[in-house]
Amino acid sequence: MDALKIQHVNAMPAPTWGWLKMNDVSIEIPADLERKCRVEIEAASELYEPNVSFEGALAALQERLDAARADAPVDTRAMLIAATGEDHGAEELDVPALSTYERRAVLSEHADDVARDFETGVGIDMRAYLNFLAGGTPVLATEAGGEAEATIRVTAQAGEASGASLDIVAAPDSTLELALSLDSAAEEPAFIGSTLRIFAGARSRVNLTVYLTASDAVTVVEDSGFVLDEDARVTVRHVVLGGAFTATGLAADLRGDRSRIDIDTSYLASGTEQRDFNYIIRHRGKRTLSNMDANGVLTGTSKKCLRGTIDLIHGAKGAQGNERETVLLASKGVDNKTVPTILCDEDDVAGNHGATIGHVRPEQLFYAACRGLSQEETEALFLSAKLEEAALNAPDDAIRSNVIRLGNALIPQFAEEFDFDDEGDLEEEIA
Amino acid sequence: MSQTPLLSVSNLTASVDEKTILHGIDLNVAAGETHVLMGPNGAGKSTMGHVIMGDPVYTVNEGTITFDGQDITELSTDKRSRAGLFLSFQAPVEIPGVPLSSFLRAQIAGRPGLEMKGKEFRRRVKELAAELDMDIAYLNRELGVGFSGGEKKKVEMLQLLLLQPKLAILDETDSGLDVDALGVVSRGMDAYRKATDGSLVIITHNTRILEHLKVDRVHVMVNGRIVREDDASLIPWIDANGFDSFEREAAQAAGGAEAAAQASDETR
Repeated sequence: MDALKIQHVNAMPAPTWGWLKMNDVSIEIPADLERKCRVEIEAASELYEPNVSFEGALAALQERLDAARADAPVDTRAMLIAATGEDHGAEELDVPALSTYERRAVLSEHADDVARDFETGVGIDMRAYLNFLAGGTPVLATEAGGEAEATIRVTAQAGEASGASLDIVAAPDSTLELALSLDSAAEEPAFIGSTLRIFAGARSRVNLTVYLTASDAVTVVEDSGFVLDEDARVTVRHVVLGGAFTATGLAADLRGDRSRIDIDTSYLASGTEQRDFNYIIRHRGKRTLSNMDANGVLTGTSKKCLRGTIDLIHGAKGAQGNERETVLLASKGVDNKTVPTILCDEDDVAGNHGATIGHVRPEQLFYAACRGLSQEETEALFLSAKLEEAALNAPDDAIRSNVIRLGNALIPQFAEEFDFDDEGDLEEEIA
Repeated sequence: MSQTPLLSVSNLTASVDEKTILHGIDLNVAAGETHVLMGPNGAGKSTMGHVIMGDPVYTVNEGTITFDGQDITELSTDKRSRAGLFLSFQAPVEIPGVPLSSFLRAQIAGRPGLEMKGKEFRRRVKELAAELDMDIAYLNRELGVGFSGGEKKKVEMLQLLLLQPKLAILDETDSGLDVDALGVVSRGMDAYRKATDGSLVIITHNTRILEHLKVDRVHVMVNGRIVREDDASLIPWIDANGFDSFEREAAQAAGGAEAAAQASDETR
């Protein structure tokens, strides 16, 4: 049987030139994998609330938005006339011609339909495959004002495909700490993935930490979609360290006023590994804020593409979106693509992007050489530093052990060097 | 001086971008000695430190560098370090993404007698940091990033004490430091000498750092040439008179050489 190929994964909302080959990515799921759901969810039983659903949370938000809109003045902008097909050729000279993307964006804005606008980072087809692997979607929900935590672990053995699908609903004023581990030590092809739909209620706090620590034989897809109500705050930490091919997709709808998302991505690719990221942040609420910070190290002949789109939609007055990336190309054979995009249909907003991409500079190499490090050792230092940081900041011991296992595979005596014990605990903090 | 110097630079000529910077340098440093290399700005002092360490920016056109009985003229910089040479930078570089502790750990890996297990390593580094009045929080920070000038120099001293080289070249480690930081650098040099009895080559154009140091030999460099060598008595003389006379002599010598060359051309 041939490998299953899923196209248009991690697609940018507003594509650029096709020949640049960075609009999206195709993912090949290795042939003949056995579907096996190896997913563990560690959460208090109170979080399994049968009467709460992601759709229900969106519907409640929609009701409030519709009620607020009923009092708003009628929108008579020419863009709207153009998109809704009420144009009559040259009779209306102010009516602009819209691209397919613009038409879709204006119609979405006009409909203001939270459920229809909902998206995740990897796209519909890939998400459908992840849902198929998971077989079902449990809901974890916090109580209003409550505090909770949950850990989700997805793994697979060689020859298996395993996926998780979860809905998360954080009630108003609640706090939820989530950890997600996608890990497999398989030495033959395997697939692991997850898809999360997360609703962050008014004034809630959702903190998600994701660790990808699979071996270099495993394909990994990690997908999420967020909807944020008023004053909700979400932080996401993506730590992507292992996997032959990994795709990370995240889409966030900052629908509620003053909602905020902070995304901190730390990645590493070595050998022939490939990393693919797609971040889509839609600012719809007023004075919403987003920050995307990515920091990575590429070695060997690895490849990476990171797409970051900040969409400042009409009406998001006072919104601000920032994206920054720092990439260190530790070897000459790496292939790095960084695609920051800022879409804007609102005057009173700010969008910032910046990228620092560089090799280890000659003066850095000489400095390290003066302390006895060869070029190869200096490059390996960046790799080990990334792994060490990930191990020290792992959400729990099991995830730390995964990082150490990966570290030992990449760097001889990694655990010994950094004095982690067998369980992955650091015996004594340095400071 | 002992018969066989630890470091021997012989007739060293080096250039960058086809411009000769060092002209026929001779320098011998015996084990346990402290030498001072002085001279005005732009004399080539730092270049000499870098060339001894094998900076690939410079080309050695002539001459040899011998260290601990081995010709290291063609040796890579990392191997010179592992042979026991150390260069402290005037402006230490920053390496974002690499915590100082990781950098230190990588330096001692594979060095006989210096390799330590994690716990021992941390204890040792903490001891050295305390000796240098250095906040140990810096150990977890990215190397040099956001460090003040004084902190960067402390990190240089920390590495000197950790690696215990046979010979250390300190390239204007005192520049831009306040009195407190200068004290820390002096303590670092003392500690190094006490712990290892290693050799020091101190590059400076400021005599203050030398006040509490027993100096064996002073070399004055002007325009890429060593123009004077003497014992420690030269330091107060330079303190009082500066480098003007050396620069004038060097200019006259260069003028004389040019005239001689011209005369030789005319004779032909």
